[in-house]
Amino acid sequence: MNSPSAPALPDVPSGMGQLWRRISAIARSTPTGSIGLVIIALFALLALFAPWLAPFDPVKPFPTSVLARPGTQFLVGTDGNGMDVFSRTIYGARYAFGIAVPVLLFGLVVGVPIGLYAGYRGGWVDEITLRVMDAIRVFPSIILALAIVSATGQSLANVVLVIGMLDVPVFARLVRAEVLAMRAGGFVEAAVNAGNPTWRILFVHLLPNCIRGAMAQMPIRMAWAVRVSATLAFIGVGIQAPTPEWGAMIRQGADYMISGEWWVSIVPGVALVTLIIGFSMFGDGLEELLDPRRQKGSR
Amino acid sequence: MTSTFFLVLRRAVLSLPILLGVLLFTFMLVRVGNNDPVGMLAGPTASAKEIDAIRAAYKLDQPVLVQFVEYVKLVFKGDLGMSWLSGKPVLGELLMRLPATLELVLLGSLVGGLVGVWAGMQSALNANRRFDHWSRFLSLLGFGMPTIFLGLALIFVFFFLLQWAPPPMGRIDLMINSPKLVTGSYLIDSLIAGDRAAALSAAGRLVLPCLVVAIVFAAPLIKQTRAIALDVMASDYVRYARAAGLPKPMVRRMIWRNASVPVLTYGATELTALFGAASVLELIFSWGGVSQFGLTAILKGDFAVVQGYVLLMSVIAIVIFAITDLLILKLEPRAAAGAR
Repeated sequence: MNSPSAPALPDVPSGMGQLWRRISAIARSTPTGSIGLVIIALFALLALFAPWLAPFDPVKPFPTSVLARPGTQFLVGTDGNGMDVFSRTIYGARYAFGIAVPVLLFGLVVGVPIGLYAGYRGGWVDEITLRVMDAIRVFPSIILALAIVSATGQSLANVVLVIGMLDVPVFARLVRAEVLAMRAGGFVEAAVNAGNPTWRILFVHLLPNCIRGAMAQMPIRMAWAVRVSATLAFIGVGIQAPTPEWGAMIRQGADYMISGEWWVSIVPGVALVTLIIGFSMFGDGLEELLDPRRQKGSR
Repeated sequence: MTSTFFLVLRRAVLSLPILLGVLLFTFMLVRVGNNDPVGMLAGPTASAKEIDAIRAAYKLDQPVLVQFVEYVKLVFKGDLGMSWLSGKPVLGELLMRLPATLELVLLGSLVGGLVGVWAGMQSALNANRRFDHWSRFLSLLGFGMPTIFLGLALIFVFFFLLQWAPPPMGRIDLMINSPKLVTGSYLIDSLIAGDRAAALSAAGRLVLPCLVVAIVFAAPLIKQTRAIALDVMASDYVRYARAAGLPKPMVRRMIWRNASVPVLTYGATELTALFGAASVLELIFSWGGVSQFGLTAILKGDFAVVQGYVLLMSVIAIVIFAITDLLILKLEPRAAAGAR
């Protein structure tokens, strides 16, 4: 198996002892990506250690302090139910990752094999796959997700499944394009002539060579999944109000926006925007690293 | 222009399978899982007589294939069924609300498109300078803002804090009579009627939601335009043009002409997505357009309307892509040669 062009990682000595030098060299070559990764890591820590970091139970109401202002007993105030907004925002990170990660996995597990097979087989299989994938992409994704979730029943699992389905064409297309470029390569022919079964050619020979574009897109797709799931929760599909999910929290505070209790929406909103930006920055950095054409120096 | 005619014809023929796929999707929508299509379409308030009428209209006692053919026939006749929430035909309900959404999305995307493409081009021409850094930063920020949060944040700043914007409640002040219906856009209609107060009110109400649409549209467009223009700038012909000493404005024109086709293609895809984003935006601003109507129908389970709405959205997408193809033909004569 030959790799067409080595990933454009900075040229530093590798080895166990040099690991941190390698990491810092990568960090220096893409500061945007590194900041993004740090943001993601911070939110991941929030999600992991939420019970220890949150000062209050996220769904425990304090009836005597409904809509308390920030800076009182509650760091950033309470919402209309008298629940602590800060604690709820911390717990919200759990929902963000809890939805985005399975969505991404679904998109990869279903989309990548479809792309591999369509690209490898070519002909009418490829043509039909491409048309179906394009048809899915033509729709406004939020509408499609909403229509399916409301028809099939509102549950968190359905939300994950539907958003994941919308990721499938993205990954399938990326992988297919790389397979097409790779199919003419000698190693595929060699693998076929050596008598490998199709699944082995697809997953052992083609997969490692054709996954780069899909990998570079992963953070962007995570950003997208976080955004869409928050939008669905805002509308009230899949996740309902007292759940400490950011989109649902923004909805809770929506009516207070014109009466001045801004913190109910703004605090979870800022968390949401920061995480999305973190994912996009990491994605930009990854693209720079994995796509040699997009490197700063070459321009 | 025979070539244009053939391209339009080809486009229409190519759109048919997509339309059929969409019809299959909306047809399946009320039949997936253990759903009873009669119950889904009739709604919880339907009488036995209404249920029988629906069963007869859609031939629901026949095999599924016959049902689908009947469904397609009805759709092409313009019969999209009845909304059980309003008791009126779906097609009329949708078309009545379409202008409000078109007004919002088209005006917003026009502003966002001009700003986004301009900033993206400037970014590429001044790569890694101050303008580039700022426009990339703003693009990143805009991309990170979900429509729901952007809308609410703008309402908070411009309505509550600064008190510059009118309240986010509908398309025109309640105290002002809406203008005589011509196009369905309050702004255009009041201008036609010469009603100054109505025009000002309608324009004022448009500013914030249009700003949201413009930002949502411009942010990814800046990034894409920049990347596309940089690709063009790295090409051999641009390098040659520069080496040959062509004046800068001419080189810029050359870069723009070559970048315009992929930028347009990307913009068209984004534009179709805006109609989906408009649904939550209209909800926040109580806009009352077709996207909010479709969203409400989805939430209330008014599936005759949901079917119609999804169909309408796909027709809009097909029209957008068709117009894009024609524009590309104008910009790139080579595409016409390839199409035949």
